[in-house]
Amino acid sequence: MHTGPVLTLDDLHKSFDLGFLGSMPFIGSAFGGLGIKGIGHRVDALRGLSLAVEPGEIFGFLGPNGAGKTTAIKMLMGLIRPTRGSGTLLGRPLGDRDARNRLGYLPEQPYFYEHLAPLEFLDFYGGLFPMTAGERRKRALALIDRVGLTHAINRPIRKFSKGMVQRIGIAQALINDPELVVLDEPMSGLDPLGRKEVRDLIYELRTKGKTVFFSSHILQDVEQISDRVAIIVKGKLHRIGPVAELLESPTAGVEVVLRAVSEAALPSLSGLATAAVSLQGEWRYHLTATDSVDGFIRCALELGASVVSVIPHRRSLEEIFVEEASRA
Amino acid sequence: MRQIYIIALNTFREGVRNRVFASLIAFAVCLLFLTLAVSQASLHEEVRLVKDMGLFLCSTFSSLICIFIGVNLVYKEVERKTIYTILPKPIYRWQFLLGKYFGIGVTMAVQVAIMGLVLFGQFLALDAEFGLLMVKAIWLIYVEVMVVGAVALFFSSFSTPFLSGLLTLGVFVVGRFGDRIATMRLSEDTNAATQADPFVAFLKAAAAAAPDLSQFNVTAYVVYESSLPFSYVYHATAAGFAYAGVVLVLASMAFARRDFT
Repeated sequence: MHTGPVLTLDDLHKSFDLGFLGSMPFIGSAFGGLGIKGIGHRVDALRGLSLAVEPGEIFGFLGPNGAGKTTAIKMLMGLIRPTRGSGTLLGRPLGDRDARNRLGYLPEQPYFYEHLAPLEFLDFYGGLFPMTAGERRKRALALIDRVGLTHAINRPIRKFSKGMVQRIGIAQALINDPELVVLDEPMSGLDPLGRKEVRDLIYELRTKGKTVFFSSHILQDVEQISDRVAIIVKGKLHRIGPVAELLESPTAGVEVVLRAVSEAALPSLSGLATAAVSLQGEWRYHLTATDSVDGFIRCALELGASVVSVIPHRRSLEEIFVEEASRA
Repeated sequence: MRQIYIIALNTFREGVRNRVFASLIAFAVCLLFLTLAVSQASLHEEVRLVKDMGLFLCSTFSSLICIFIGVNLVYKEVERKTIYTILPKPIYRWQFLLGKYFGIGVTMAVQVAIMGLVLFGQFLALDAEFGLLMVKAIWLIYVEVMVVGAVALFFSSFSTPFLSGLLTLGVFVVGRFGDRIATMRLSEDTNAATQADPFVAFLKAAAAAAPDLSQFNVTAYVVYESSLPFSYVYHATAAGFAYAGVVLVLASMAFARRDFT
């Protein structure tokens, strides 16, 4: 098994030549620099992206639409060649075949051969790895069961719902028992139950010592399961770090919910908190970092109120995401 | 090799389950049966007519069907994004292309075999001998189809089906009539200036680059029951697959540089 970062991107750049002349095969790059929209112009999808993913972590890769997430992931998979820069996968250069033996990948909105049923489908993908027919079959049956598609084992994929396609897609990403699993929008199009199943699967992969690198727009899911996240905007990395660190905010504050607050106690308690609101018989007090939480609770108890909850107010990943996207 | 086999097998399975492919074969088979009917109008030349028309239909339709399948092969994978889950697996791009080529090869072998069987049936109906000459002719039709398939795959590796189809059809036509284009003159005028016509020059250059498909057309030998030595069949087969090999190498080079956005 590989030690050291499982995935590194080092100053990765990618430019696309577009327009009628720019998109021509073989000669397009000569016209991309014209800068005339529709005829030949260049778009920089990635502008010096660098990051590293450590073994065994769940890494969330975030960014608004058009940020370059899928471009970066496709470069990792060898589907797109970088214009400049380099990277490694499991210690091997990008595109290396050995690394791809230990890698699993699910693209965004996957499409598969619709005439195949799950068992044939997984046998097809398993056949691309050095596995015997017996190993493939055993693994395929286990994965079909794990993703909850045993009831559809003989049904062709063209008759699958979107959620079922996503699940069989995850199964093909795991057919070779990979060390690194790369998922591009794995929860896309899934209902809450489907999303929970995918989250559980990702957790399970981590407990088995695998590394998961995934991109998603569903920030609650990313916040819930990721160890670290990176936020990319317009092809550049804006923030990276452990989720807990990113969400920490010295000015966030605490929310204290009280019940049985007497009329007499209201002025005293309001004086100790920054804001207060009454809701269905309960009082919610917001205390900033400068307010004394201990002092407030002691006072509330002395005045006969009962404490329902004390919740530290953290910034959400969505707030950070919107902030970074707006800054760019 | 395993990866090539897996891709080839899947390509074949996809091909034979394709309704358009089945319809085209059915149509070609119907036309073959038509030759039997038409031959009844000939003056005791039924066998000759069946040989001539039968081989022509077998060759032309097989090539056209192969062009139709070949120009869609890679394009469909990219368009439907099925390629996005295959290329990240431990498979080289050239293995993927070669697998596709062998997949067409097996599919077209089935198609040519079906048409060959229909022809055999027609010979039985006419109480005529099928003979080794017919087998050689059908084999050379298959080799021609594989050359055309390689050209279709080459264009398909970087172009749309419509453009690939046009270009492959162009190569097919030029290849079929290459021997006549080589000696082509627009007029009887022997003036050197007239002979240097750019259109003729272009056609001759195209004919030089295109495969010589006329070498696979041995209908005359079959119709007139002339001797066709095995050495001719070997050389034509080797030349055909050598050309296909070169084209596949070029296709791999084009495919290797491609970005799948």
